[in-house]
Amino acid sequence: MGTTQTTLVIALLAAAAPAHADSCTGERGGKFAACFDPGNRLSITAGTAGVGGAIELRHVIHFDDEPDLVWKLDHTLLAVNHGAWADRLSFTLYRAHYMRHSRDGHIVIPLGEPKKVFMHSDIGAYVESGTIEWRDQPTTRLGVVRVAGLVDFARKKDFSARVAFGPLARWDVDLMQDTHSVRAHFVAPFTAGMANLHLESDDGRTLGDVRFEAGAIWRSDAGWGPEIRGEASVERIVLAINDRPISLLLGARYESETHEAIGQVGARIVLLQRRDPRVSLE
Amino acid sequence: MRRPFCAAIAAIGIAVPTVASADQYPMMDHYAPVDCMKDTDGHLWRIQCNPATHVCLYAADDELDSAGIRRKPLERARDCDRTGVFDRTKLEAAGYQMLPARADAPYGWTRDERGRVFQINFDLKRRIYFGVGWTPQKLFDHLDNPFELKRSSLDFGLFVFDYLSDGPTPTRHRIRLMEGNVHIEPFSAEVTVAHYDVSRRFFDPLLRVTTFVGEPQRHDIHLDLGLWTEAGGLEIHPTPTGTSSIWKHATAMGTIDLWQSPKLDSFLRLRTGLGLEGQWTQETGYRTAFVPQSALEFDWVVDPNGFHNLRFEFDHEMPRYLLPIRNDQKLAQRLRAKLQYEAIVLAINDQPLTLKLAAGGEKRDDIMGVPDRWAFVVDAGLRFSLWAPPRPRS
Repeated sequence: MGTTQTTLVIALLAAAAPAHADSCTGERGGKFAACFDPGNRLSITAGTAGVGGAIELRHVIHFDDEPDLVWKLDHTLLAVNHGAWADRLSFTLYRAHYMRHSRDGHIVIPLGEPKKVFMHSDIGAYVESGTIEWRDQPTTRLGVVRVAGLVDFARKKDFSARVAFGPLARWDVDLMQDTHSVRAHFVAPFTAGMANLHLESDDGRTLGDVRFEAGAIWRSDAGWGPEIRGEASVERIVLAINDRPISLLLGARYESETHEAIGQVGARIVLLQRRDPRVSLE
Repeated sequence: MRRPFCAAIAAIGIAVPTVASADQYPMMDHYAPVDCMKDTDGHLWRIQCNPATHVCLYAADDELDSAGIRRKPLERARDCDRTGVFDRTKLEAAGYQMLPARADAPYGWTRDERGRVFQINFDLKRRIYFGVGWTPQKLFDHLDNPFELKRSSLDFGLFVFDYLSDGPTPTRHRIRLMEGNVHIEPFSAEVTVAHYDVSRRFFDPLLRVTTFVGEPQRHDIHLDLGLWTEAGGLEIHPTPTGTSSIWKHATAMGTIDLWQSPKLDSFLRLRTGLGLEGQWTQETGYRTAFVPQSALEFDWVVDPNGFHNLRFEFDHEMPRYLLPIRNDQKLAQRLRAKLQYEAIVLAINDQPLTLKLAAGGEKRDDIMGVPDRWAFVVDAGLRFSLWAPPRPRS
């Protein structure tokens, strides 16, 4: 699925979703949760791309004296996926977005009397550390660090949307599986860029994410070269058992380095989830 | 810049001094009482009077747009201590002079003439940072091409956190997670997964020496001891045949602070201790070493606002390998010195962008093929930091 089509699907699904807080508690046949918090959960996923799971946590930090300033932090911990049909394993120790929403974006130039130049965006960062991509091939890819400074034009106070761009730095290592020796280092000293679109419906039943990276990567064995990577996913909760949601998942991923395009259809089962505060089952 | 301010204060009926520039408006004291009074148009004004100087500062209780229209509530202003109706005549009759001003902002923040708040004090010891730089290595070894542009670098610190436990014996805890740097062409890298050190200023002296020659006198000797630890370090260095990887599993050192700033955020200290590491190369395989080591560290936040930061470190390490690294050599030496200056050049949404300048030298004989002589390095780069709240108020 192309990026544009995916974005359109996410937008349509998000727009179609009910958005009122009073509809978060369903009552047909008894009370049930109709809104979900997709950012705080322990889930397992099974699909055509394999079986895996992840812990997701997110929270906001408010300030009493500046009510419009919000730090939005979302963390993914111990995300793992084992390929069902292909012998491959991917693991992420930690991945996060730290986004700072403020009423006004501005640049302060602290020369003499500090001067302030205004702009219309939030800022933040994407951080990823400790990834492993193991395949039935001679090498295993270790991701030491991947960071991007982000400018977010969605400027949402909550997690409902992120339209972010920014320079990306990364350091990955290819290890030979037999000798455990380093085959090559991959470094992008902010010579690549990242774009990220993230949308969630107000009831948390539909969410989608599109991430695109492109730029020049330096390899210790081959020098500089271009690289493109993109991934997109759409998730839609279709049922819940004991208010634990089960969602359908569509995803796609492309990497120019391996010329590999992978599509995924699967299901995500949430084992533990923070109950959406708008839900009242009492 | 003055127009919106003039428009805003027209309602209160006080002229702006014609020679004043917007930057010269005084600022109210965030830690002194502020009254909020309504004018004849019903607009709320913040007023702070000083009975000692008989001066009243006043400012709109809202942010203004470029036309001077009140648009948004003020951010980070203190709550009003009293409210009521503004009686300018009564104040002027009492001898008070009315001066236009900027509304108050807390320590570390200021406000422009439209009331918009922004941060002007940054604690770079509490942040997440990542940066890019240019690092020509061995500058003096390659004078034919000293400005190799291809040698760029990135550095990062995913969690930098200092915490001061104040009191009679102030203690500063310093935590760093995933901090390091990577250079390319040729590739080299240093990363430390976890770092923790602690400095303390002891209330009681370690030794009290009393002299009885002449008038008896007491001489206190303070030894501000601390701890320095790291775990999970990795250094990768280029060699003529590939790379040498040094896995620094764990290091623990005791520290003595020779000088400390009142808040312990600046210091000069000696540390010494032992590390466990292993060096791996394609040719020699893995060699374990115990590493007695010492260092002199100087870390100085030069100005109260945290804009200028200076750091110097001199390390001496003596890895003693359990198996020879070459011929019969089991003992090696590493000497390293680095001076770094980091200055804030601007802030984007109150998140600082810093300029980093560094110079250093290194001499080591533990890596095969790398000549045992001093090599010098200079760095210049930019770092972007997230978080970096204002430094604690003294």
